[in-house]
Amino acid sequence: MPIGPRPEDVAKIRRTVSIYKVSSYITGTFLLLLVLMMVFRYGFGVDIELLGPYGLLALTPKDLIAGINLSTLILIAHGWFYVLYLGTDFVLWRLVRWSFSRFLLIALGGVIPFLSFYFERRVPKDALAAIAHLESTEKVEA
Amino acid sequence: MQTQATMWQIARRPRWIGALILALAIAGGFAALGQWQLSRSFESGAAPVEQTESVVALDTVSTPQQPVAAMATGQLVTVDATFVVGDYVVLSDRYNNVNSAPGFWVVGHGIAADGASIAVALGWAATMTEATTAVDGLAQSAPDGTIIGRYLPSESPQESKFEAGKRSALAVSELVNLWAQVPNGVYGGYLVAGAPASGLDKIDSPKPISEVSLNLLNVFYAIEWVVFAGFAIFLWYRLVRDTWEAEGEALRDAELAAGTPPAPVE
Repeated sequence: MPIGPRPEDVAKIRRTVSIYKVSSYITGTFLLLLVLMMVFRYGFGVDIELLGPYGLLALTPKDLIAGINLSTLILIAHGWFYVLYLGTDFVLWRLVRWSFSRFLLIALGGVIPFLSFYFERRVPKDALAAIAHLESTEKVEA
Repeated sequence: MQTQATMWQIARRPRWIGALILALAIAGGFAALGQWQLSRSFESGAAPVEQTESVVALDTVSTPQQPVAAMATGQLVTVDATFVVGDYVVLSDRYNNVNSAPGFWVVGHGIAADGASIAVALGWAATMTEATTAVDGLAQSAPDGTIIGRYLPSESPQESKFEAGKRSALAVSELVNLWAQVPNGVYGGYLVAGAPASGLDKIDSPKPISEVSLNLLNVFYAIEWVVFAGFAIFLWYRLVRDTWEAEGEALRDAELAAGTPPAPVE
C-alpha cells in the first residue's frame, strides 16, 4: 500500500525532515529528564526544586517545595514537545506516504527512552531515500 | 477495463469496517480518559455541606491536644460540658454581622466528659457592660449540660491591647494561659454555641461554604484527550482515503501501460 511521495511534495519533505530532527532531539532529551524525574518522584518521594531555600537545585518532597517545581515543569514540557513531535511525525508520514505502522513506530520515539535518537538518524535517511527513489524513477520515465 | 472503487465502497469493505470499529473504540477510550481527567480537575478540600450540618459528638471529629482536621472545620457538634466559674473571658472587636458595630464575645471554659477543656463562645454583646453583666450571670448559673454548636479551628493570637486586658482573637493557646484552672488536655478548636447564654445575642455562624478549586492543568489535559479522540476518527478517514488514492493511481498506471502487464505497485 505505501506508494511513495509525490514529486510536488519533495521540498515540503526536506523542510519537515529538518523540523523532525530538531523535535526528536528535544523530545528525546525531555524523555530522559522525565525518566530521571520519575525515579526521584516515585522511587525516592522527592521532586526537583529550582531556586528553593536549599540552593539552585535541590531534591525536596513535593509538598514542601517553596521554589519552582522542576519535576512538574519537565512533565508538562515533555507533554507539549511530544505533541509537536507527533505533529511532525504525522506530517512526514502524510508527505512520504509511508505505511500506517511506520507512523505508529515513529510515535513510539517519544515514549521509549533513547529511541528518538535512533530515529533522528534513521527517519530522515529513509525519507531522503524515498525522494531519491522517486527522482531516479522519474528520470527513467522521462 | 476495471473501474475504480469509490471511497464509500472502500469504506464498506470488512477490513475498513473493522478499522472503524477499532478507531471508535480508541476514541471512546480517549473520551473516557478525558472524563476522568475532568473529574480530577475539581478538587474540594472541605467537607460537603450536608456533612457539616448533621450534629455529631465532638470527640468523634476531634481529639484533644491534636490539630483540627479540615473535615471537622465548621462541623455542628454536641458536647456535655461543665463550665469553670472563674474562667469566663471577654473578647472585644467581634462583629456579629456585616452591618453591626464591633461588639464583645463571652467565652467560657468548658470541661467535656472526657476531662479535656473546650473553649465555648457563649454569645455576643453590643457593649462591654452587657458582656460583664452576662459573665456575672453565668457565674451564678453556669450553662452546664449539653452544648450544641459549630466547631471551628482556633484563631491566631492577635497583637491586641492585652496589657489593658483587651483581647480580640479567640486563640485557644492564649486562653489556656488565662484560665485559672489548668486544663487536662484541650481541644484545638472552639465551639460557637448554637443557643446564646442569657443576656447575650446568638453569635452568627453560618454553615461553611465549601470551596471548589479548578485545576487548570487537568482541564487542558481533558481538552487534549478530546482532540486525540477526534484524531483517531480522522486517521481512519485518512487511511481509507489513502487506499482510495493508491488504488486510483495503480489503475491509472495500469491504463497507461495498457497492453503490457501492469507494473507492481510498491
